[in-house]
Amino acid sequence: MATESGTRKRKRALGPEALPSDGELAEMDAADIASLRSDIDRRLSAMEARVEDGMGSLEKRVSESLRQTRGGDSEAVREEITRALEDFEKRALKDLRESRSRGDKQRAGLMERVVEVAGGLSELASPDAWKATWSRFSLRGKSETVDDYGMDPIIAQRFKPIFDFLYYDYWRVEVRGIKNVPTDGSGLLVSNHSGALPWDGSMIKIAVMNEQPRAREVRFLVEDFAYHFPFLGSLMMRIGGVRADPINAIRLLRHGELVCVFPEGVKGLGKLYKQRYRLQRFGRGGFVRICLDTKAPMIPVSIVGAEEIHPMIARGSWVADALGVPYLPITPTFPWLGLLGLIPLPSKWTITFAEPIDFSKYSESERKNRILVNKLSQQVRGQIQGMILEQLKERRSVWFG
Amino acid sequence: MAKKKKNGAEASGTGPSIVLTGAASFIGSNLLKSFEEDKSIKHVVAVDVFKPPFPLKKTKFYKLDLTQPTTDADLAQILKDEQCDTFVHLALLTNPSRSSSYAHELEAVGTMYVISACEEARVRKLVLGSSTLVYGATPRNPNYLTEDMPLNGARARFIRDKVAAEKEFSDFAKRNPQTVVSILRPGMVLGPTVRNFWTKYFSRPVVPTMLGYDPLIQCVHETDVLDAYAKVIREDHPGAWNIVGKGVMPLSTSLGLHGKVSLPLPGPLLRAAFKAGWIAGVAEMPDSMLDYLRFLWVADGEKAEKKMGFVPKYTTRETLQSFMGMQRLRAIHLAE
Repeated sequence: MATESGTRKRKRALGPEALPSDGELAEMDAADIASLRSDIDRRLSAMEARVEDGMGSLEKRVSESLRQTRGGDSEAVREEITRALEDFEKRALKDLRESRSRGDKQRAGLMERVVEVAGGLSELASPDAWKATWSRFSLRGKSETVDDYGMDPIIAQRFKPIFDFLYYDYWRVEVRGIKNVPTDGSGLLVSNHSGALPWDGSMIKIAVMNEQPRAREVRFLVEDFAYHFPFLGSLMMRIGGVRADPINAIRLLRHGELVCVFPEGVKGLGKLYKQRYRLQRFGRGGFVRICLDTKAPMIPVSIVGAEEIHPMIARGSWVADALGVPYLPITPTFPWLGLLGLIPLPSKWTITFAEPIDFSKYSESERKNRILVNKLSQQVRGQIQGMILEQLKERRSVWFG
Repeated sequence: MAKKKKNGAEASGTGPSIVLTGAASFIGSNLLKSFEEDKSIKHVVAVDVFKPPFPLKKTKFYKLDLTQPTTDADLAQILKDEQCDTFVHLALLTNPSRSSSYAHELEAVGTMYVISACEEARVRKLVLGSSTLVYGATPRNPNYLTEDMPLNGARARFIRDKVAAEKEFSDFAKRNPQTVVSILRPGMVLGPTVRNFWTKYFSRPVVPTMLGYDPLIQCVHETDVLDAYAKVIREDHPGAWNIVGKGVMPLSTSLGLHGKVSLPLPGPLLRAAFKAGWIAGVAEMPDSMLDYLRFLWVADGEKAEKKMGFVPKYTTRETLQSFMGMQRLRAIHLAE
């Protein structure tokens, strides 16, 4: 027994790997254990001294190189710091490897932390790490791919709850004739426009998404003014807006999409309160030409309720000219209450989709017939005006429907 | 003349015999390399002010400066001597030039000389290497520019001369309906080896962008562009063609995806910075080109796909990845 422990002791002296296991430890006598403890203590204190030494030299090198570079190139300092940190790390790792013994668990943990901190420090010293962090940050809450017109599904999804709140709780939108919206293939939704801010387009989009069984995406066209407005424009693009251009509408319809247009345009948005529910001129009939071109069905849409959300008393035109916007809405609340005045009023909305008008019966030559185009445009305008008047007759209250 | 006959006897193919201007450019030299290897092409003549930096076996090289006033006669003589049937005009600037008078002489006037020479020599086919930059980046652009859109790029000096060159070609096509005139308009060309002002812009450690604007960008891979050129040279496809990759990507996303830091600056400040940078020689483009970072100028590649049968192999995203991947290898000195 004694001889055995003696050989073990000799083995132990060879290196840290030769330390005894738990079972062997139990068998050892007190003298053996005491010598083992003193051995471990000696090695630990040596290691501690080396780490302290390393820390000291690291500190010295960093402060020295910092002193040198007041006015020198920062590249060299960065290199110097990184080299110093690397040296330190190497030494620390060496020590760590030597200290992988049973009695050293705590100290090993400490060493690991030191190495970790050293690694973190060297990362802080490198601009690449900062750049990577920053570019990760810039992609937060964004999809890595957008569709052909710049719609980002993640951003669109993020805004959905806001629109859902407006749709279900604020304006309590009632939808009629949703079955008239084609479940597949293209279709041009033509609607009356109002409300100073383009809320009606987004509500038509949400209505089709929420009520139609196939939850189709409606691409709404955005006026140039909003599409090229800083920040607002790119946001509109990300949530599915497309610049109002007949070429865009035609391309979308050719690809079988649902497109929503407001032929009244800015004239419709800038309607005064006293002009509410009186349709303005339907542009130059471009929307009819789009349908004649693509043979897409046209679905007349009437929105009742939207024309009361921003009761516009006057249009501030000279201020608008100064600001570079088409008009400045003056309502009982705006601009008097500042941005708060832009909160729309909670009227009750009804969106009615009428039966699709078939455009496939017209020939190519009739597209160029401007009299026909204007006639069709007037027809659609009359139909939407009729739908609005019918709805208004039915309605008892602006707020409760 | 004798050499041409020898070459003609050697080559087995029935492909076109080609004159190439701008032979030392990226597209020009890569096309030359492929023609050198292609047995079906019997005869190639390269014209440029610089000799392409690789050995030419089949190709006959003429050193000719298109800005010289006697170029048209010289070029007509070459065309007469060499009896080539296809003329590929690639001698347009890839990058905005600080010397706008030289750019004008080379692009607008040089192309006029080329057209005069081709009219004189009655070549069968003419190909022009243009760019989608000619459409211009304007607030009135539709999301997808088709080939029949007006060329509104003339606001920037660098593009005005390209528009003039395009006009020379389209006027020539109207005058000579029997000649096949193809105009290729590649989009933003990126890739592992190409170098132009866009690659320079995207290689910046911090990329300046316009605050409040995040336009969609569209790229095309260099190999796809070369494929398209090879296609119009071998087959007859008269007309203008957009050569673009599929898909678009917001500028900010394309920078973020590749670990670039963007620096959004307010419009006037960005303009001033680029103006100063252009004068100082550190900006890759003059401030008149900044609309290309503000508005859409995405082209529609549908016509080329349906009528020419050109299908790009790389999407916009893949092109950017291929370009940025090489950039990273360059950053750690693993690639030239």
